[in-house]
Amino acid sequence: MRSAASMQAGERRLSLLVTVLAYAMPVIFVLVPLAIFLVYSFFSVDQGTIVYAPTLGNYIRFFTDPIFLPVFWNTIILCLSVAVICILLAYPTAYFLTTLKGRWRYALLMLLLVPLLMSYVIKIYAIRSILGLNGFLNKALVALGILDQPSTLFVFNMNAILLTLTLLLIPFAILPIFLSLERIPQTLLRASDDLGASGLQTFLRITLPLSLPGVASAASFVFVLAIGDFLTPQMVGGISGFTFGRILYSQFGTAYNWPFGAALSVALAIVVILAILIGERFGRNRGSSV
Amino acid sequence: MSQNTDLLTLRSVSKSYGKVPVLHGIDLSIRDGEFLTVLGPSGSGKTTVLRLIGGLEPLSSGEIRLDGHDISRMPINRRPFNTVFQDYALFPHMTVSGNVGYGLSVRHIKRKEIASRVAKALDLVQLGRFADRFPAQLSGGQRQRVALARALICQPRLILLDEPLAALDLELRRQMQEFLKSIQREIKTTFLFVTHDQEEAIGMADRICVMQAGHIRQLGTPHELYYRPNCEFVARFFGENNLVAGKLGTVQGEQRSIETALGRLVCSVSDQPHLKAAPDGAGAFAAFRPEALRLADTRDSDNHFGGTIADLAFAGSSTVATITAGPDSAAQRLRLRMPSRIDGSALKSGEPVSLSFAPHEGHLVLA
Repeated sequence: MRSAASMQAGERRLSLLVTVLAYAMPVIFVLVPLAIFLVYSFFSVDQGTIVYAPTLGNYIRFFTDPIFLPVFWNTIILCLSVAVICILLAYPTAYFLTTLKGRWRYALLMLLLVPLLMSYVIKIYAIRSILGLNGFLNKALVALGILDQPSTLFVFNMNAILLTLTLLLIPFAILPIFLSLERIPQTLLRASDDLGASGLQTFLRITLPLSLPGVASAASFVFVLAIGDFLTPQMVGGISGFTFGRILYSQFGTAYNWPFGAALSVALAIVVILAILIGERFGRNRGSSV
Repeated sequence: MSQNTDLLTLRSVSKSYGKVPVLHGIDLSIRDGEFLTVLGPSGSGKTTVLRLIGGLEPLSSGEIRLDGHDISRMPINRRPFNTVFQDYALFPHMTVSGNVGYGLSVRHIKRKEIASRVAKALDLVQLGRFADRFPAQLSGGQRQRVALARALICQPRLILLDEPLAALDLELRRQMQEFLKSIQREIKTTFLFVTHDQEEAIGMADRICVMQAGHIRQLGTPHELYYRPNCEFVARFFGENNLVAGKLGTVQGEQRSIETALGRLVCSVSDQPHLKAAPDGAGAFAAFRPEALRLADTRDSDNHFGGTIADLAFAGSSTVATITAGPDSAAQRLRLRMPSRIDGSALKSGEPVSLSFAPHEGHLVLA
């Protein structure tokens, strides 16, 4: 019989390895790249080669050049709008799901989440063809007599980006809202009825406040995913639909100005981190246990 | 407030979930101002009774009348009853005063009046200092009292309590029992209290309704249930008891004999006409409480039989002896409870003893 002590030592080594890995993964794959970006944002480019001398030039350019800040703000507004529209559409959907019984509830939820399994690019193509001049949306509006002739209002502009991002990201809003609604104990709603509240009062004073954490995480999910997306604006935005993501992408892919791209990324990362922190702040409920 | 007028009447109320019946046409009258406890093992339908009265679930058939008016189909938020839920169901996002004032604020009562009534209710349950805390910051007993204040602030005709003490530890449960009882006396509101704990039921109730398998087995004061159970289930379920099977013999005044494995026993049948009327030879049980059973020295007393001590258990103020009695073919296990003595019991395991109980301390239940 091999001694139990050596077995124990082996187990201890294994658990140490697991611990190291658990900490190393986020450090190597998240923190280190972020740090590299931060460092690069203080370099500059001269005739296509990176100059490794620290400078604040990139940040000065970002704040003073008349192009970047307006696009930055517009993109933030756009993504906030996407988040708001997603929430407005997802909340009733999620609420409806929680009113369903047992099997139906999860079957329908799965159905709503199926788009997440499909390729992002294919979905954008599909939505673009719906929004286009000969697309389903225009045909339907003309057929219903709402429009006289097909409109170019829905594709290759900001509207197109807004609609497409909303459609793409709605599942990310439904899921957290559904989970937070489902977690509300039924007895709380019965207690509210019992104390004389009407259905509407119960919804406004119990269900809604208790589901706000889910709404907050849904909003920050959608906002963060929307603001980081450059593919959707690229494909449906045309010339007028210019977003911060596209500028960022062009710095790396077209202009080969990595240090400036890194500086823009840092600006974006700050917004994303703020969004996550705000989502987290409101996502936590006061005294969440009953 | 008179205790003799009926506040709420259930008439042949039945309830089934799908095809599974849980209540079989029960009749029950709740008197105005009483503390009525519904007692039963789990699955007896006791919580269903409460949920039907509260309006949390619709009845399958029958009717519920309040002051003589049918309220069976009245929606839950219109019924003048309030419930204290088993898990308290406090709103986690509201403070204590928010919770307590909820029932008033949904009725659009003025904020000033709500504040003063909340303060009064919190004083009543001795939680004035905790008005601004959230439920998560309170102990179990405090949450319990918030739930109670939240229910009674609406001045309901009836307060429904669904095993509200089940989650508390023993000492706290005793305190809360006294507390509930004193509050009930103070506000003079009718309480309907559901529990599976008979000690709780005895300690608090004016009347107890014993339920089993969707039927009401007996409704009466704790004293009646303890000393005059009307069926085998109540006799066995309610308090410790000795039941000895036999066949009914003759009636002699307020007593009737029964032939058992322990010989001929005589028990009281006063105020129990159905036992007087039962035919000779009918199957029945002689029932006598462990504290009614005595060690007898004299052989001339009634209900006298011999036995052997199988076990002795010291239980603080009393000592319980487990005794085997009767012929080997039909040996009966009996319990005898006697006051403990500081110098110990003179009895030892394995010792033969002679036992008896007084006829008026024994009773009969039909098998």
